[in-house]
Order: sequence, then structure tokens, then C-alpha cells
Amino acid sequence: MAVSKEEVRHIALLARLHVEEEETQSLQRHLNGILEHFGRLKSLDLENVDPFAREDLDVTPWREDTVVPWDGREGALSQAPRREGDYFRVPRILENEDE
Amino acid sequence: MNSLGLSATDLATAVKNREVTAAETVAVSIGRIAELEGKVHALLTPLYDRALARASEIDRKIGKGEDAGPLAGVPVVVKDNLCMKGIRTTCGSRILENWHPPYDATVIRLLEEAGAVIIGKANMDEFAMGSSTENSAFFPTNNPWDLERVPGGSSGGSAAAVACGYAPLALGSDTGGFIRQPAAFCGVYGLKPTYGLVSRYGLVAFASSLDQVGPFARSVDDLALALDVLSTPDPADATSSRRCRPGYRACLGREDLKGLRVGVVKEFEAYPVQTEIREALGRVEGILRGAGAEFLPVSLPTTIEAGLPCYYILAPAEASSNLARYDGVRWGLSVEAEHLVDLYMKTRGEGFGAEVKRRILTGTYVLSSGYYDAYYLVAQKARTQISREFTEAFRNVDLLLMPTTPTLPFRQGENSEDPIQMYLSDVFTLPVNLASLPALSLNAGKSPGGLPVGVQFVGPRWGEETLLGAAEAVERVLGKPAAAFGGEWV
Repeated sequence: MAVSKEEVRHIALLARLHVEEEETQSLQRHLNGILEHFGRLKSLDLENVDPFAREDLDVTPWREDTVVPWDGREGALSQAPRREGDYFRVPRILENEDE
Repeated sequence: MNSLGLSATDLATAVKNREVTAAETVAVSIGRIAELEGKVHALLTPLYDRALARASEIDRKIGKGEDAGPLAGVPVVVKDNLCMKGIRTTCGSRILENWHPPYDATVIRLLEEAGAVIIGKANMDEFAMGSSTENSAFFPTNNPWDLERVPGGSSGGSAAAVACGYAPLALGSDTGGFIRQPAAFCGVYGLKPTYGLVSRYGLVAFASSLDQVGPFARSVDDLALALDVLSTPDPADATSSRRCRPGYRACLGREDLKGLRVGVVKEFEAYPVQTEIREALGRVEGILRGAGAEFLPVSLPTTIEAGLPCYYILAPAEASSNLARYDGVRWGLSVEAEHLVDLYMKTRGEGFGAEVKRRILTGTYVLSSGYYDAYYLVAQKARTQISREFTEAFRNVDLLLMPTTPTLPFRQGENSEDPIQMYLSDVFTLPVNLASLPALSLNAGKSPGGLPVGVQFVGPRWGEETLLGAAEAVERVLGKPAAAFGGEWV
């Protein structure tokens, strides 16, 4: 069940998170430690428990599907690291998509 | 008149009666911060100019005979994961170091509409991930009672600010105990409301099914006043309950606790807890019994066994999803890259600290194909079971008396090398979030070494009134918690 270094790199890629080679080892150690701790859950009898039947939650209310004006547009766009008019600009996306 | 000694409730009354101006009050608060901040480091962003301008506005209002609100002129500190329009909101992270939200969190709007003056934004563990405020990307906060110890976390800055008397009130957020644990460590009150009582709109999300905003204070009356201001249904937060009903202050002042049934969790008694905390539990039990409460044993077998692993699967899972939004494209830090995926990876690699990376990877792992059933789904089942156990327990008792933490405030650096050891300090607080319950941590005296000792009351959903009533009974006997550094406090 132990997580390999290779798996850590794979998960980091899934999470779009660059990790340095020296970080990989400590992350691997952490993941394996925490997964061992999670093992405690296996001893519980949860066979017939519904994972999403939580009685501690209210019913999510419906609301009318109406447009509400918002005045934060410029404030939001002005935070963009790279902006072009009313758009967020990003670097190339079509090459090097090899994963 | 020296406003430093007043509770929020008395301060607002004094401001409205023109015994003191809001501007004077804010000046006193700024003076206190100037005096102590070099030692404590509780604030990431002081807001002095803005606060003084707001205070003048309130004084003008009062001068014209208008109602300035229940918190008129009261200085308040807010955790830096609460958005304020145009004000830097970092969440303790490099990735948001220069972010200026284009909107106010609902709780910020409610505070300001009630006349409160926000005096500064408080330090915190990055994205609220941590129990010591050592994970702030900027600097650690020190415990006001012993500067070499941690103030707790993640709302450590807010708790320390109230303990120091920067302000009589502060806001924090509690995902797994992050209001109650720092409240206990800093010797103040901290209340985690029922999930859905306080709006999360504008609270930077960590684990959305667990996060809840709540107040720190140094009197029960102030906690109740803060709840009255904050508990308003909010259409901008779909989980904000329509059952919100202010009126907490009006419920205080009961003479005794006759008929109150207090539960003690059998399984928690076997858990290693520091002697000073056990003694504090005994003290509080004695006070409640003296006021007429009766004590009963309750059993939460799954909770003690599964609470910690359940939380440390679900919270990182939700965090990995919530933190996917920090991509270097729309706001926050952005690292130059040739291609979009590199931009994401480099920005996130540079912008997030070590603990945040650990949680994102843990969360991504438990949600990834092949592991979802073994971890995430099992944890959700455990959560259902934990919630049921609490519901069952609350058929027989009105509240639970528990430790807030297994230990007194630990030393800086003591747990930071071993994240899992750090997680264990949340064992008594996080089941409460898993079951969406309210809980209140209160100060029950000092250790022989002078460190604050906290205990908590946990109630059934919407049981805030019961928690406040029991805390009030304890306060009548033990008095209101004192301010650190010799601040006089009424």
C-alpha cells in the first residue's frame, strides 16, 4: 500500500503542483504516514452506512434564476496578472500538452 | 474615560452615550497594538487610517442623533481569510500576498453595518491549515502569555489580538477547531457556531462542508452580541440556514442551570490529557453542578476512533478541490511560463507553503481513481456515523463538557517537524465540525506556570443559547478572562 516516489510525482502532476526533487521525499514520507493513520477506519463496521445521508444538514434552498447586477467586474479584472481588455491572458495552451 | 477596560457591549453603550468617542476608542486600540505588536505579531495588515476614518463617520452619526448600531465604535480584528473590498487579503499565503478582493465578506458587511470598526487583519496559518500559526507564510504569532509558545491556530492572530486587548472582539474561522483551540491557548472565549448559522460568503474556502466563521471575545455577553450581529440568513451562501435567529443576548441572565443535563464522553476519559486540563474540567463540572446541572455519561465510540482520520481525509479532499482555483491566471501570484500547464505548476509550487502542499497532495490522492472508495467514501460513511452518534447522545443530554485540547500551548517548533503529531492536537475539536455542531471554548483558569487552560462545551445543532448560558454560569464564578500584559479589563 506504500506510496512510491513515482506516485507522489504523478499525484503532484494531477494537482498541477510543481514539487522539487528534495520535496518529493518528505511528501512521500508524509503521505505514507498519514495513510497508515487512515488505516484505523478499516476496523469500523460501516457496511450499511449511507455516505451521504447526513441528517445534520438543511435542505439546500432553491432560488429564482434571475440576473443580479454586480459592480465588481473591473475590480476582478484588475487583479489579473496578465490582462487583455476584458480578458485574462494565458500563455500557449496547444503545445506540450503531453500528459 | 479609558475604553481599554470595557467589553464590546459596554464600549458601544459608552460611545452611544457620548461618554467616549469612537475616534478615541480606536486611538486607544491603536496605542495598545503599538505597545505590544513588536512582541506578539498578531496582525498581518493593520488598518489604522481606514479605522480612524470609519470612527469619525460613526461619531458624526451619533452627533446627528442617528442610531450607530449595537457595535458602535467597537474595534474588531478579523482573520485574514475574510474578504474586505480593496483591502489586501492574504489568507497567510504568498499566493495571495497582493490580492485585493473586489467585494466584502457578508460578515464584514454585517460588522460594519452594526457600527464596528475593523482595526486590522489577523495572522493565520496559510489557508487555515495548521494548529499553531507557524504555517503563516509571513511570520509566526507568539502566545501573549508566553512568547516562546504558539497561540494555536489557525486563527492564532485573532485569538492573540483579543488576549492582548487590541480589541474586545475578533473574528476567526473554525474548520477543525481553529477558533476553539487558539481561544484555549490564548485564554479567551471562542465560539464555533452551528454550520449554517453564519454566512461563509467571502470567507476564503478551505473545506467548505466544515468551515464556519465565529467570534472571539473576553466576555460571554460579547460573544452573544457578536452572534446577534452575525447570524443573519444570507442568500449569497446556499448553506446559510434560514433558521438563523438573533436574540442570543436576550437569553442570557438565567439565574441557575436547574434541569440542564451535561454529558461527559466516556471514551474521551481514557485519552491522554494534561493534568491541568483534567483539573480544569473538574472545576467547571463543580461550578455547573453547583448551579443545578446534572451530569451523565455518554458514549461516542466511532467519534473517538474515526474522527481524526475522517477529518484528515475529508478536509484535504475539499481543500485540494477548493485550492485548484489558484492557477496564476485570474488573481494572485503568477510565475512566467511558456505553456499554460507550466504556469499552473510553477505558480502553485512557488506560491504554496509546505503544509498546504501536503494537504493538496493528500486530498488529491484520496480522491484519485482507485483510492476514492478506500478513503474518501469510507470517510464520508464515518462522518455519517459520527453525526448519528452525536444526535443519539443529545437525546439524553443538553450539552457535552470536553477538553478543547489534550495539551497546554506547546513551544514554537515543537510540533512543526511532525505534521501528524500536530494533527493530534485537534482530536477533541474536529468531531464537532464533522457533525456540524456548535461549540464554545472558555478559559477555566491558569496552569501553575501561568498558561491559560481551556475547556469546551459542545451543543446540539442550534444549541448556541445553551452553550452561552452554561458559559455565563462559569463566568459568574471564575470571572471574565484577564488581558495579557496586565491590561485592566472589566
